Amino acid sequence: MIHLPTLTWSDAWYLAPELTLSIFAVVLAVLDLFLPRSWNRNIIGWLTLVGLASAAAFVVWLMIDFKNAAAAHPEDPTAAFRNLLGGSYRIDDFGNLLKLVFLGASGFIVLSSLGSVRSSDIPLKGEFYYFMLPAALGAMVMSSSGDLITLFVGLELLSITSYILVGMRKRSGLSAEGAFKYLVAGGVASAFVLYGMSFLYGVTGTTNLAFIGEGIPAAITDYRALVYVAFFLMTAGFAMKLALAPFHAWAADVYQGAPTPVTSFLAVVSKGAAFAMLYRIFMNTAFFAKDDPFVQKDLYLGLSVLAAAAMIVGTAGALRQRQVKRLLALSGVANAGILLTPLAIHLTPLHSSLFSEFVYYLIAYAFMNIGAFAVLTVVSRGSGNESLSGFAGLYYRAPWTAAGMTVLLCSLSGLPVTGGFFGKLFILFGTVQTGAYWLAAILLVTTVVSYAVYFSFIRQMYMRSGSDDSSIRIPGPAGVTIWLCVAATLALGFLPKPVLGWIDALFSIPADFLAR
Amino acid sequence: MSSLAEYAWLVPVFPAAAFAALTAMGRGAGRAGAWIGTLASLVSLILSLLIAGQRLSGTAEEYSNHFDWIQVGNTTLPIGFEVTNLTSLMLVVVTLVSFLVNLYSQGYMKDDERISTFFAYVALFSASMLGLVLSYNLLTMYIFWELVGVCSFLLVGFWFRKPEARAAAKKAFIVTRIGDLGLLIAILLLFWYMPNHELDFTNLHNVFGTQTGVISTGITTLIALLIFLGAVGKSGQFPLHVWLPDAMEGPTPISALIHAATMVAAGVFLVARTFDIFHASQAAMDTVAVIGAFTAIFAATIGLAQNDIKRILAYSTVSQLGYMMLALGVGSVSAAMFHLFTHAFFKALLFLGAGSVIHSVHTQDIREMGGLGGRMKITAWTFGIGALALSGIPPLAGFWSKDAVLTAALDGHPVYFVVGVVAAFFTALYMARLFFLVFAGKPRGDAHAHESPAVMTIPLVVLAVLAALAGFVQTPFNGWFGEWLTGEAEQEHASGLVIIVSTAVGLLGVYLGWLIYAKGTVRRDIVSSRMPGVVRLLERKYYVDELYHYVIVKPLEGLGKLLIAFDDYVVDGAVRLAGMSASAIGRLNTRLQSGQVQGYVLTALIGLVILALAVAGRRFW
Repeated sequence: MIHLPTLTWSDAWYLAPELTLSIFAVVLAVLDLFLPRSWNRNIIGWLTLVGLASAAAFVVWLMIDFKNAAAAHPEDPTAAFRNLLGGSYRIDDFGNLLKLVFLGASGFIVLSSLGSVRSSDIPLKGEFYYFMLPAALGAMVMSSSGDLITLFVGLELLSITSYILVGMRKRSGLSAEGAFKYLVAGGVASAFVLYGMSFLYGVTGTTNLAFIGEGIPAAITDYRALVYVAFFLMTAGFAMKLALAPFHAWAADVYQGAPTPVTSFLAVVSKGAAFAMLYRIFMNTAFFAKDDPFVQKDLYLGLSVLAAAAMIVGTAGALRQRQVKRLLALSGVANAGILLTPLAIHLTPLHSSLFSEFVYYLIAYAFMNIGAFAVLTVVSRGSGNESLSGFAGLYYRAPWTAAGMTVLLCSLSGLPVTGGFFGKLFILFGTVQTGAYWLAAILLVTTVVSYAVYFSFIRQMYMRSGSDDSSIRIPGPAGVTIWLCVAATLALGFLPKPVLGWIDALFSIPADFLAR
Repeated sequence: MSSLAEYAWLVPVFPAAAFAALTAMGRGAGRAGAWIGTLASLVSLILSLLIAGQRLSGTAEEYSNHFDWIQVGNTTLPIGFEVTNLTSLMLVVVTLVSFLVNLYSQGYMKDDERISTFFAYVALFSASMLGLVLSYNLLTMYIFWELVGVCSFLLVGFWFRKPEARAAAKKAFIVTRIGDLGLLIAILLLFWYMPNHELDFTNLHNVFGTQTGVISTGITTLIALLIFLGAVGKSGQFPLHVWLPDAMEGPTPISALIHAATMVAAGVFLVARTFDIFHASQAAMDTVAVIGAFTAIFAATIGLAQNDIKRILAYSTVSQLGYMMLALGVGSVSAAMFHLFTHAFFKALLFLGAGSVIHSVHTQDIREMGGLGGRMKITAWTFGIGALALSGIPPLAGFWSKDAVLTAALDGHPVYFVVGVVAAFFTALYMARLFFLVFAGKPRGDAHAHESPAVMTIPLVVLAVLAALAGFVQTPFNGWFGEWLTGEAEQEHASGLVIIVSTAVGLLGVYLGWLIYAKGTVRRDIVSSRMPGVVRLLERKYYVDELYHYVIVKPLEGLGKLLIAFDDYVVDGAVRLAGMSASAIGRLNTRLQSGQVQGYVLTALIGLVILALAVAGRRFW
């Protein structure tokens, strides 16, 4: 019988970011009920932003706290993380970094939708804003769990909230269809994950990731086939969540149906959270399967194959796509493949920087996607449709936005000097270091092919003239978001070293994944 | 007292700022843009004069300053500037000619709608050329070396609507690139062989000048020859001279500034700056001298048979640069720099004078001109002074500097001297031909010739004064200039023979020209009737262009066609194949995207089964 510890006040301090979000979510929900109808719901949006910002501030505080603790006790490997609730929840730099990314991304998305979301499209604007909070909370739980059950709870919190968010455009058939498909696909994915987890529990007798890691070698000797089943089921479930080919088919429909800010949330935060969970599980369990000559290799090979398939299918599919959200969904498929690559080539003495590579590209990916979706929001408002031809003549209608979009597209296609370029470059370096040349080749070839995808935007913006040549009005918050994203993308391109150095300094695999 | 040299970096900054301002203002700048450019060049000129003045007093230390630009591992690449007597002299020459050309262009380019673009390019050129002059190491110099090449390209092709201008700009760029490549390889070799990878001129001087044996003779010769290749390209020496006459398609003030006074002299300056490397290798020195001497006489003979006023001057420039190279090759930096100094003035004067004529009669063919002396008095007089200076008639500047070159040549080898003297005779002859055909006799074309406005004639007068007097800084009786420049007293060798011979051939050339083209005592076709082949050979410029066309251009075109075919069939084929397979995968994806969510889930399930069987299943066979 496992003794279950209870939450103490000192633990609550470590949970401050999560608690902040919960409190804001509840308070805003109540506030939305009591606010008179005549009040603009943008106030809820701004308060959501405040909630996200204060949670982020707490995360930063905790990170500083850990850094000081680690500096004060360099001999103590447990100084820089904290196990709560019997190891089912852990606060460490891995989680904190990703939480910052999720909170920042959610904040940018809320900011970009302020003033761009119209009541005719989304009747319940208040809900639209404050549902971002539990969604972000789910993502945070996923990045910070040390137990299969907590992980799953986080996953469901995020998923269920996002089903609702996708269906926010109540008057749109596409939105309802998207929400339904997302629900079905997400449910199937959760079923896969849960089924896999149950096998893992079955062969190791525990749900705690650290104990699973300890039990894995024995489990492999006894039940090798079941270990395979467990991991492949979980992999398939996560592949659906991440929209890796061939598990991606739902993504295009859902992205198209969802309100654009939600699409951007799905592309960045949901995807990032699923990655966080994948990292947690694989680094704590499959990593310890190394005694067996095959199992660990096969599991990572499975991930590599998925990454390669995602890059190829996503890029090739995007080539033929003319609907921008579907195009970006497929681009997201390809990018998920790229983001999976550092994990798929796994940790070896040659390749210890997998997490830095992943987070660097995740940050770059977050900025370029949020920026691109924000541009899409203003452009589709201006042109009335979401097809590629809506970008026609953008250079003449909104020259600065066109210039910003060009930077974001360069980043998406991996051209210097942008964050996307260095992100891909670092991942490529890692791939070559470990000798996975075939994966490096696929990464390079799909990158080159993707130029054709992203340059079709540039061709539209600069070389086609639209039917309408009136200038496009850019709402203030959306403009700020776009330019912050552009600036961040360029900053990541001009100063890759400081960012990478910062991540490296914060994060170490033994302390942040493996120590208990 | 702080030395003004510390602020020498400001000299190129002013035109660079003018360039930035003019570019920012765009075409709207118009006439105001022209004044911005002129003003910037004036400020640079004043500063350069002050710096040079301080150095003239002889007390100032050589000053250099630099900062680390790129740091790779243990290697740093610094860039910086350096002020020596040589560089301060060049500063004055460049800023002075640049200012006068700016002023002159106010009139010459008045009606051009892209006038502010023109002044922007000129400002960029001035900044680059001044940067080149001030460079403290070869790397810095190379950057500016390429920049002046770009400016030359832009300005030669300034009237890009003319196909000849486009072709000339391309030719100028590509031909000089050949030389630039040599220079680049030389710099890489130096970087490789120099202790600590130092590329600055002080260290080059130390290694090659004083510590012999650090770098083997073979490598030294190779490096020197490669540097010289760069100089050959830039200074239009045989066999890369072909671009310079064609570059006359650019506006005439540009021909004066870039293709007579400054940029083309950069090759000579480069050799002078790295002279220690050449000095360490006799083979390199001989090559420089031979190429220089050959170019001097070769280009002078071509100049005899040309009919385009600017082309004659262009071949003359090639020939005079040959003199400078000859002087360097026989070991006299001071003679070369002295000739560079005086040549800058009188050749700029001649080009600007030619520009004034062209501005007035709207043709460049000297057979259609004539009798302009009466109607364009200032142009005619100043042009005459320039022509006499070029012909080496005492006591004008060209006489003294050519005399210094010939004296040095006589010290080197009698053959160089003879070649130099013969070339001097041809020089006097073609200048006499040019002058008398244009300014003497009866008007031939129907143009209403008129004198040019004051902004154009004032620079002519200033340059004429300089062309007349600049030679007195160094005479066989007064070696002050060479001493100031090189820091060592030149041994006094006022050679009466040289003075007499060079004066005689100069006067003979002018007299003969007068007899043929002004007085008509000797028939003009006296040569062409007897030796039509020779004249034809000269008119066709020894068929060098044709030779290049058939030996280099045609085979390259053939190779290009071959590569295009390869590109069309093999590369494009592969690309088409890749494209087709990508869109095939895309189509597959579209088929998958049926909109039926049960289909999606089924695909996912099949995907899982295949993945698991393919990756893990093999372990269970």
